Formats: sequence, structure tokens, C-alpha cells
Amino acid sequence: MSAFPILSRFQQDAHIKTVEIEPGQTMDEVAAACAFHSIGLHVADKPGRTLRVRPTTEDDSAPPWPRDLTVEKAGIRFYDCIDIYFEEPQ
Amino acid sequence: MLERSEWYDIARDTNWTPSYVSQEALFPPEMGDPYGIPTEEWETFDEPYKVSYREYVNIQREKDSAAYSVKAALARSKFHDEADEGWACVLKLHYGAVALTEYQACQFQARMSRFGPSPAMRNMSVYGMLDELRHTQLQLFFPHELVHRDRQYDWAHEAQHSKNWAVLGGRHAMDDIMMTRDAITSSVMVSFAFETALTNLQMIGLSTDAANLGDHTFANLITSIQSDEARHAQLGTPTIEIMIRNGRKKEAQQAMDIALWRVWRLFSITVGIPMDYYIPLEQRHMSFKEFMHEWVINQWERQVQDLGLERPWYWDIFLLDIDNHHHCQQGGIWSWRPTVWWNPPGAVGPKEREWLEEKYPGWNESYGSYWDVITNNLLQGHEEKTHPQCIPIICNMCQIPISHRPGPEWGARAYQREYGERRYNFCTEVCRWIFDTDPERYKDHETIVDRMYSGEIDPPTLENVLKYMGIGVISEGGRDGHDYGWVEGFRAQAAE
Repeated sequence: MSAFPILSRFQQDAHIKTVEIEPGQTMDEVAAACAFHSIGLHVADKPGRTLRVRPTTEDDSAPPWPRDLTVEKAGIRFYDCIDIYFEEPQ
Repeated sequence: MLERSEWYDIARDTNWTPSYVSQEALFPPEMGDPYGIPTEEWETFDEPYKVSYREYVNIQREKDSAAYSVKAALARSKFHDEADEGWACVLKLHYGAVALTEYQACQFQARMSRFGPSPAMRNMSVYGMLDELRHTQLQLFFPHELVHRDRQYDWAHEAQHSKNWAVLGGRHAMDDIMMTRDAITSSVMVSFAFETALTNLQMIGLSTDAANLGDHTFANLITSIQSDEARHAQLGTPTIEIMIRNGRKKEAQQAMDIALWRVWRLFSITVGIPMDYYIPLEQRHMSFKEFMHEWVINQWERQVQDLGLERPWYWDIFLLDIDNHHHCQQGGIWSWRPTVWWNPPGAVGPKEREWLEEKYPGWNESYGSYWDVITNNLLQGHEEKTHPQCIPIICNMCQIPISHRPGPEWGARAYQREYGERRYNFCTEVCRWIFDTDPERYKDHETIVDRMYSGEIDPPTLENVLKYMGIGVISEGGRDGHDYGWVEGFRAQAAE
């Protein structure tokens, strides 16, 4: 299976963007791919904060996927919408 | 000669009983009245504004003479040489979006004049049809003389023949409400929801702005068109009254709700962005939000209730959208400026931001955070970082990028629906609801983004996508209309 588009709902961005990801990518790699199209373009960076990925839900309450989980194992499909957000400092 | 009042009603109401074909063959329900309302009920149709053909021709001839003579008198003026590019954007956007939409409206009126179940409706819509034809001619002819100055004005003629993403949005909505409905439903949708609620008012606001800026040719043109709109928009009111009286309130309500939202999403871009961003700060006569609240929320809503309908179920979403939609799309259109046929200025320098914060409290914390990043990139000489290398997902109903309030409130959200073997994305619950009212009607259309992944735009490279949309073919795409001059205020502030 090759690259396919997902909907990147990046925290504080005005737009939901299509970003192509690959089944073997980890969540950290997905977060980086989405950050490339938002941070420094429409969203200010928050240095030192970790980006996490979770499925988009109505109340933004879904837990994040493990950072090393792959796209394939997370079951992310064509046009799935995912949240990419800055993790609160521990 | 008889006075009009002595012969008008009988002439207008003349109807006939067909003998060579059936009534249904002459007026097929799918083209005229699908609700089965009796003919005698339609014969009570009484439009508020009355005019005879003789009067109509005399009035229209005078209007045309006035519009064309002002244009001729000002043809040698240097207005367009000296006008702000922001105002040029208003004109390019307006002509591209509106000129041939008027011709669609001409066909919509023609359908009413042929298939309308009421003789009075058929009579009035003949004038409406002639109105819309005149508007098409005016709005194709006036920008034509500007093409030699700037090729982007050619979109007045070309836009509706292109597959530009912004045109797809307009065409999808107009095909839905104006081109593919029966005479009765489209009368509610276009005459009442579109023209009465929004277009007529848009014309009033736009002509005021044009006069303030000294563009008397355009002000005169718009005033001339508005006076027609004010008359033929009244076709919707008696239609709704008859529908309600005959047990079809639910259908009238749904038609109005669908159309208002569909047109609102476009109207906010073609009017909201110009009012709050393109028109130079010194010449803005009111904010878009003030305009909407004064003319639509206060006045049109009262008309809806007087008629016996309810305000649309999504009223709270609509009010929220007035505060947000055009600000989001100003950011999006500016960011993806090479994809449009005008040169959108960012227009968010220190003074403009102060004005936006005053008119839209909280703008700085939300939209300001978005523009801060862009402004910093420009101040640091990184113009290339203001061009996204991806595309926003597009709503499968309004065909506009799915966006919402940025910053801490983070409102952007895709509302999805699985239907058949496809997944559809919508910007709001309202666009998804419209899809749900008749999925079979809407299911096959593809957004510009869908086309990139379905193989219609192959390969979907930036160059190919732009060419597919007519950019570089009809004219060059957009750039910042003020060559980033609006960031200089921040540079000066930093120097102090």
C-alpha cells in the first residue's frame, strides 16, 4: 500500500489540510509530516513541546496513539481526520 | 388609453385550458409545481410590484442609457490607473463570480416564465428574465475595456467556463438552487432566500463602497442592477404564501434553509472579504458583521416570520459563521493566492488589525495568531514560507476549504459522512445536513481535491493543478495586492 491522504487537524490552525502519509510511518513521523504544513506557516512553534497524534472526535477527548505505533497498525484510512497537538508539559 | 389599473389584472391573469395536450404535459410537475397545488390557488398569485411591458421597456431603456453614458463619460478618467489594488480585487472577484451567474439566473427566470403554474408568475418572470439578460450584458461589457490593462479582468468572461476551485463552489451552488429545480422550489430558493436576503442588499452595500472610492461607473452599474433585483426578488413572497396556505410549509422551509446557507457561504467570501479586507481602511463604511446584522439578521428575519416561516434551524451556527467564515477564507485565499484570479492584499497592518479587533473582539487572539506567523516570515525575508506546500481539504457541499477559528478556540473540524463507497467531508453540520436531505442528488460530484486523488488531474502536480484551474491559461494567478506593503507598519513599530 502506498502513500494516501489524511486530513490533518493541527492544533490552533485555521485550516484542515490534506497530508500524504505512508502505512509504515510512526505517529511521530506523521506528526512531523503534518507539522511541516502548519508550524512556521500558520501556527507558531512551541519549542520543547512534544507533538502527539489522536483520532479526531467530537469532544477532542480521544487518547493519543503511542508515538511508535505505525499508521497501518493504528488502522488509519484514506481521508481519516486526525488531530496533531502539543502535549502539555508533565 | 386605459389606465394600467383598469386592465392589468385581467391581462396578467389570463390563463387557458389546454385541449390538444393534457395540463400535466403542458406543465410537467418536475419543471413547474411538484407539490400538486391546485391551479385556482396559483391563480391567486399577487406580486407586490406591478409593471406593464410598455412601462418596463421605458424604464429599462432609461436605466441602460444612464449606465452606459456614465461609463462613456468616465472612460478616459484615470480612476483605474490610480485605484488601490484592493478595489481592483473587488471588481475582479465580483465580475468573475457574478457576470455569467446572471445568465444562469436568466435561465432560471425563463423556466418560471415557461413552467410557472401561475399566469401572474409567468408574466413577472418574463421581466425577471430580461433583467438578468441585461445584467449579464452589462457585467460582461464593463470589465471588457479593463482587460487590456490587466488580463485578470478576463475572468469576467472566462470564469464560468473554467474549473477553478472558487468557480466550482459558485457553480455547484447555482446548479443546485437555480438550474436543476422546478419553478416553484427555485422561486423560494432564488427569489426569496438568495435575492431578497442577500443579493439585493449586497448591491446596496457595494454601490455605497464604489461611490466612496470614486468608482462612479461601477456605483452606477450596481445601482442600475439593484433596482431590477428589488423588483423581481418579490416573486418569492407570493409563492411561499401559496405553499403555506396549501400545506407545504415544510417544503418551503427546507428550500429556504438549503438556499440561504448555500448562498451565504459564497456571499461571505464575495462580500465579507472585500468589506473587511480589500476596501482600504479609510473608505470602509461599515464592517461586514454590522452590515449582516443590520440588513439580514434584523430585517430579513422579520420578513421570514411575517410570512409564516421559521428562521433556519441552524441560526446559531449562522451567527457564529458571520464572525468567522470570511476571516478564515481571507487567510486561506491569501495563503493559496496563486490559485485565484485576483491579487488579494493581506491588509492586516497595525491599523487594520486595530480596526478588526474593534469590530470583531477577540480577532487578535485568534486570527491575529495566524497572521503573526505570516507577518514574521515576511519581516524576516522568508516570503517562500508564506506559500503552503499542501492543499486544504474542501467541503463536498460548498466546495470551500474546511476552516474555522484558529488560535486557542481551534474551531476547524471536518464533518464526515459515509455514503455508498465514498467518504464525504463537510465544513459544518449544515453542509452535511444539505447532503443528507438528498444524497443521491449530490453523491457524484468531486471537489478539486477529490479530483486530484481520483486521477482526473493527472499527475496532480502543482503546475498541473493550476493549469487545470485556468491559472496561467486565462491569466496569471494572484499575488499580494500590496506587494506586502502592509507589513511595513510592523517594521516601523519594531524600529521604534
